[in-house]
Amino acid sequence: MSSLSLQRTLIRIWAFVFKNWLITKRNIFSLFEIAFWPVVGFFSIGLLTTFLELDVNMSGFILTGIISMSVIQVCQIDVAYVLLFDLWSKALKHTFIAPIHPFHLVSGSWLIGVMRSFVVFLLLSIFSALVFRFDFLQPGFVGLGLFLLGLFLMSALIGVTVCILVLLFGYNAEVAAWSIVSFLYLLCGIYYPVSILPSPLPEIARAIPLTYLLEYFRSFYGFPSTSGNALAWAYGLIAVYVVVEAFLFKIVLRRAKRTGILLRLSE
Amino acid sequence: MEPIIKAENIAKTYRSGWRGQKSKEVLKGVDLEVHEGEIFGILGPNGAGKTTLLSILSTLLLPDRGKVEILGIDALRNGSKLRERINISSGNANFLWSLTVKENLQFYGMLYGLLGKDREERVNAVISHLGLEEHKDVLFDRVSTGMKQRLSLAKCLLNEPEVLFLDEPTVGLDPSAAAKIREEILSIQRARKMTVLLTTHNMKEAQFLCHRIAFLKEGEILTMGTAEDLKRMIRIGDVIRIEFLGRIPEDDLLHADGVINTSITDRQCEIVVDEAERRLGSLVCLLSRDGAEIQKVTVRQTDLEDVFLEFAKNVDTDMGLRL
Repeated sequence: MSSLSLQRTLIRIWAFVFKNWLITKRNIFSLFEIAFWPVVGFFSIGLLTTFLELDVNMSGFILTGIISMSVIQVCQIDVAYVLLFDLWSKALKHTFIAPIHPFHLVSGSWLIGVMRSFVVFLLLSIFSALVFRFDFLQPGFVGLGLFLLGLFLMSALIGVTVCILVLLFGYNAEVAAWSIVSFLYLLCGIYYPVSILPSPLPEIARAIPLTYLLEYFRSFYGFPSTSGNALAWAYGLIAVYVVVEAFLFKIVLRRAKRTGILLRLSE
Repeated sequence: MEPIIKAENIAKTYRSGWRGQKSKEVLKGVDLEVHEGEIFGILGPNGAGKTTLLSILSTLLLPDRGKVEILGIDALRNGSKLRERINISSGNANFLWSLTVKENLQFYGMLYGLLGKDREERVNAVISHLGLEEHKDVLFDRVSTGMKQRLSLAKCLLNEPEVLFLDEPTVGLDPSAAAKIREEILSIQRARKMTVLLTTHNMKEAQFLCHRIAFLKEGEILTMGTAEDLKRMIRIGDVIRIEFLGRIPEDDLLHADGVINTSITDRQCEIVVDEAERRLGSLVCLLSRDGAEIQKVTVRQTDLEDVFLEFAKNVDTDMGLRL
């Protein structure tokens, strides 16, 4: 790739950071997304662990779950917003007539999602240390970094799923931006180990990278992983889903151009 | 000369309902050629398939069958390469609501890969060219419809396209705003020598802007040509009405150059000619030669609307005018 071509790729990615950032900063709702709902949810669950007199590690098990979900929810919504903002503004066709690749669209919106959700993580991890004496740095910077990167990539997968659904079903799919994450609460062992789930839910949980990411992180707090190398499983599954979603996105975009949904969503 | 836009046998059917049971055939094998530097109009009533055709040509929609080649690039297989060199502006302009006019342009400038200073200059240039300075810092959803149309035009100039698609560029505008937009389109096209393909259901707009026009109805191109060609083709030329005293040479009149038809009563004759401006002088001479005293002359020039109505009527009654 030539230097000019690389610069053009980077500016196209940056375009989506620019767009999401401007819309976010003008929207009071986004302040609630970062600072209100995650904090309220975190303290509700945290105080429940105090009431139940759980020890620090057991509290940590649950707090890890709630913080992970807050990070994922904020990051994935930014990826989903990249099409949702266009959908709500009926400007979808202007994006797709420009010479961009879905990669620009997803990576730009993911970057701003990573920034916003990292703020959420910092906020909640500081609260967990100060109020519930849970030390997020116990796994070390590398362990924590790998765990967070996994969460961010997991978020990208969910956000892209929402985008795919939007291109398939239009406005009917926007609810997916808020509801897919709810399945993860049920399946991935956010508040309990997946082993207590009735069959076949544990098998389904084993197909979701977040399950392994949580196992990996909790292994530093006295909850041994039941999946061997949980981190390898998590990243292996993420790699598979990235390839599958890239392929699906391409197919669905082509289908949207064949059925005319891309135009209908711009009218 | 090789055409810049070449479409062959384009067909499109929209399907809806469970497993696509309901279907609506929108384009029925359209062929089209547009040459470099031409403003080509696709004229037709609502539901004729104009926007569908434009969307296919601009790579936003895939046809069921047919071939599209633009700037020598296969638009159906190599759309991403083509999109660098084309752009589209729609009459119902929609952009990101919570971005200002300038931010919208900056965003789309980035999508076209414009870098730093170059982007800033290009954005400022189109803002200035389209008279958007006063509104550049206003949020998109707070500007008037006319300004939205201007923004739409400004956006489609950002990448300096070689081919520009305009979908009903003045729809919903008041006459004065529409006239300004038409002037802008002409001035942009002349300055940049770009090829423009536009859709409209406004006959006067097509006549004012387009070098050539295609009539599209129910997914088929009925005919195409210059406005003058079309008038000649349909033989519903301009009408010269002459009030006179005395006798006039009926046979000579009917066989005079450019005369399509005549209708003569006691003191008045209506002569249908191909071009009134060109034929008026010789016809007046012809009538005067035989001693008729001409008292009043009125001319009604045929406009595109007459042509279109005639075409639509003839096709409806299956008079074989389909070309």
